Amino acid sequence: MPTAPSSTEPRTTAPLVPGRVQAARRAIQDVGILFRFRAQAVRRRHLTRGLALSFLLVTLAVATVPAFLPGANGPGRAFDMFLLLPSAMAGILALNVASAVASGGGRELLSRDQASPYPISPTTDHLGALVLAPFNIAWMIQAWVLFGSMAYSYAGAKLFQAQVAMLLWLVFCTTLGQVVAWTMEAVRRGPYGIGITRGLLICLALVAGAIQLTGHATDVLDTIPTLWVFQGAVSGWGARWWLVLAILLGTSIVAIAVGALPTHVAARRMPRDEARMETDQHEPRRLPRTVLGLLIRADRASVWRSVPMRRGVLVLAIGPGLVAIFGDLQWASMTILPGLVASGGALLFGVNAWCLDGRGALWRENLPVPASALFDARAWVLTEFLGVASLITIGLGALRAGIPGPAEASALVCTLLVVLLQVVGASMRWSLAHPYPVDLRSARATPAPPAAMVGYSARLATSTTFTSLIFSGAAHVPDWRLSVLLAIPCLLWSGVRLERTARRWQDPVARALVVTTTAA
Amino acid sequence: MSEPVVDVRGLHVRFGEVEAVAGIDVQAYAGQATALLGRNGAGKSTTMRVLAGVVPPTEGAVTVAGHDIRTEALTVKQLTGYCPDVGGLVPRATPWEHLQLSARLRRMTNWEEHARDLLERFELGDVMNRVTGGFSHGMGRRLSVVLAAMHEPRVLLLDEPFDGVDPIGVEATFDVIADARARGATILLSTHLRDLAIQACGNVLVMRGGAQVASVDAEDMAGEEGARAYRALLD
Repeated sequence: MPTAPSSTEPRTTAPLVPGRVQAARRAIQDVGILFRFRAQAVRRRHLTRGLALSFLLVTLAVATVPAFLPGANGPGRAFDMFLLLPSAMAGILALNVASAVASGGGRELLSRDQASPYPISPTTDHLGALVLAPFNIAWMIQAWVLFGSMAYSYAGAKLFQAQVAMLLWLVFCTTLGQVVAWTMEAVRRGPYGIGITRGLLICLALVAGAIQLTGHATDVLDTIPTLWVFQGAVSGWGARWWLVLAILLGTSIVAIAVGALPTHVAARRMPRDEARMETDQHEPRRLPRTVLGLLIRADRASVWRSVPMRRGVLVLAIGPGLVAIFGDLQWASMTILPGLVASGGALLFGVNAWCLDGRGALWRENLPVPASALFDARAWVLTEFLGVASLITIGLGALRAGIPGPAEASALVCTLLVVLLQVVGASMRWSLAHPYPVDLRSARATPAPPAAMVGYSARLATSTTFTSLIFSGAAHVPDWRLSVLLAIPCLLWSGVRLERTARRWQDPVARALVVTTTAA
Repeated sequence: MSEPVVDVRGLHVRFGEVEAVAGIDVQAYAGQATALLGRNGAGKSTTMRVLAGVVPPTEGAVTVAGHDIRTEALTVKQLTGYCPDVGGLVPRATPWEHLQLSARLRRMTNWEEHARDLLERFELGDVMNRVTGGFSHGMGRRLSVVLAAMHEPRVLLLDEPFDGVDPIGVEATFDVIADARARGATILLSTHLRDLAIQACGNVLVMRGGAQVASVDAEDMAGEEGARAYRALLD
């Protein structure tokens, strides 16, 4: 009886060590397999499909509708926007690089622990991160700002060509960001990696500060090569346009291929930041006076000792702040910042706030403490986290914007309060309704699966942008009391909803579901 | 015999369509250690979670030291020490911070010496200021037992405490169980390791498909004969 295939029988399984081309092909196939695997786990598919369709429709609308608005393609605001677009393109490139670097190479199709039993190559990991890159609020807003600004400032026969070039610019930024991120990650995981990375960041901050303080920001922005790309993008069906397209497409493809190299190097090295965080010593401190204080301290530690949250909040707080400085954002427009930062911050852990405890949720639930105290502590720490990030951003923006008028200050303070309560309320509500078992150890971890993250991003972006725009309008009205009047009903509404969630948390059945799910 | 400290009658726990526990009765007394044995999915961990006040019962009556788990969950949590089956540790808190939290919430005073002693017995003294996210599985299990036992609870609930634990950890867990019995605590121990369960406990409760199929003395489950009897109960 034959017990093994003879040498003359055709081989039916793939070779264990494939060639380079075969490995690349296999990596691409694996991305598809993993993506389908993740898609299977999506619980409310019709809702996800609806969200995906809405995103496409919104993007299409943003890319076309502004062209038909009054003042489009005109000499006033539209022309100013047109002049600023090359700088915005550079800003988008910088933000893509920063966010990919902060997330240690982008998001994971399958988390490190879950992926460990499977033969998933670093190339698959790299390609998966690229596929997931648009599934986040920052990327979406950048895309909408770019398309919307282009449509408003360049309405006309050549808009289609310009938007195609902008789409490719986004692809280019994403792929290049990924290469830089993996390279940085490989360096960070190497000898003296953390020191080198920090040194580089300090140098960058010093250079940016020097440029700003010496008043050369505009000169520097004028010399950025995005101007050349932009000129090609708006040149219509000419040779220049085709050349720009070919260059963007070519470099993107090269970046995708080249990105696999540092990914492999990084994969062979120990993730130092995470390892350091898990082996650091934390000397005992004096106990807080109240139980709530103790719970808050424990939750705070869970947030600030997590690599994705530390890095994420740093990028969220500083990135938009720098954009505000370089973009010379005025106080009235700065109302957009708290919403952006708070939404992004909530996406770091807030939308699945109970996952902070991980498997410790079971033990914590057995502790003799009222359920309301746990809720209050978690909601407070989330508010604090989002509030600190928003204040840093506003502080940075204020460096160039000067002293605000009473109406502007009132609008900004009201926006901050309303948006914080709005985002915290929504986050706590979603955390209770849709808990996920997530391990936030890795810098690349997200608190919910990609499809859910898109839904959360879209909902947060819509609600906070709407709120911000209302208060931005109020900032132009001389009477500062208008913002306060507008804020009161918003705060009451969000407060009532948060209180309702807190009451639901009291239900032991609802709580048990959250605890057993997050600890699974 | 005196009143049972843990009294479970007709307990049902349903998660949607799944019935994790289908009408079990458990009575456990002071100074007694009871082992819950059974295959995966038999309902052992869910029963433990109910007794720990983590999962509310769908049906049935559950009292711990005379306190109804539905209406006095907080009091029950004061009285119990629970080592969950999975992890049971907050990943970014240190062992000492876990102990501080537990001690403070239970209003304990002068607990530090005892806590240090327990950490040393479980060979965790060197890592007491390191976050638990980087712990090995066995270290995590050992710390979970320390946390369950530190406040000397009236009811000690240990769910899979030996899983992946080295012999020193197993010995230390035996000591914790023996100490608890000596001071009159009630111990419920859920495990797949029959031999260890028999060594640590006086009674054995076998569960299958969410229901109780036997309640016998530990001695009856010992040796070859006991293994055969256990095997027969599982099938």
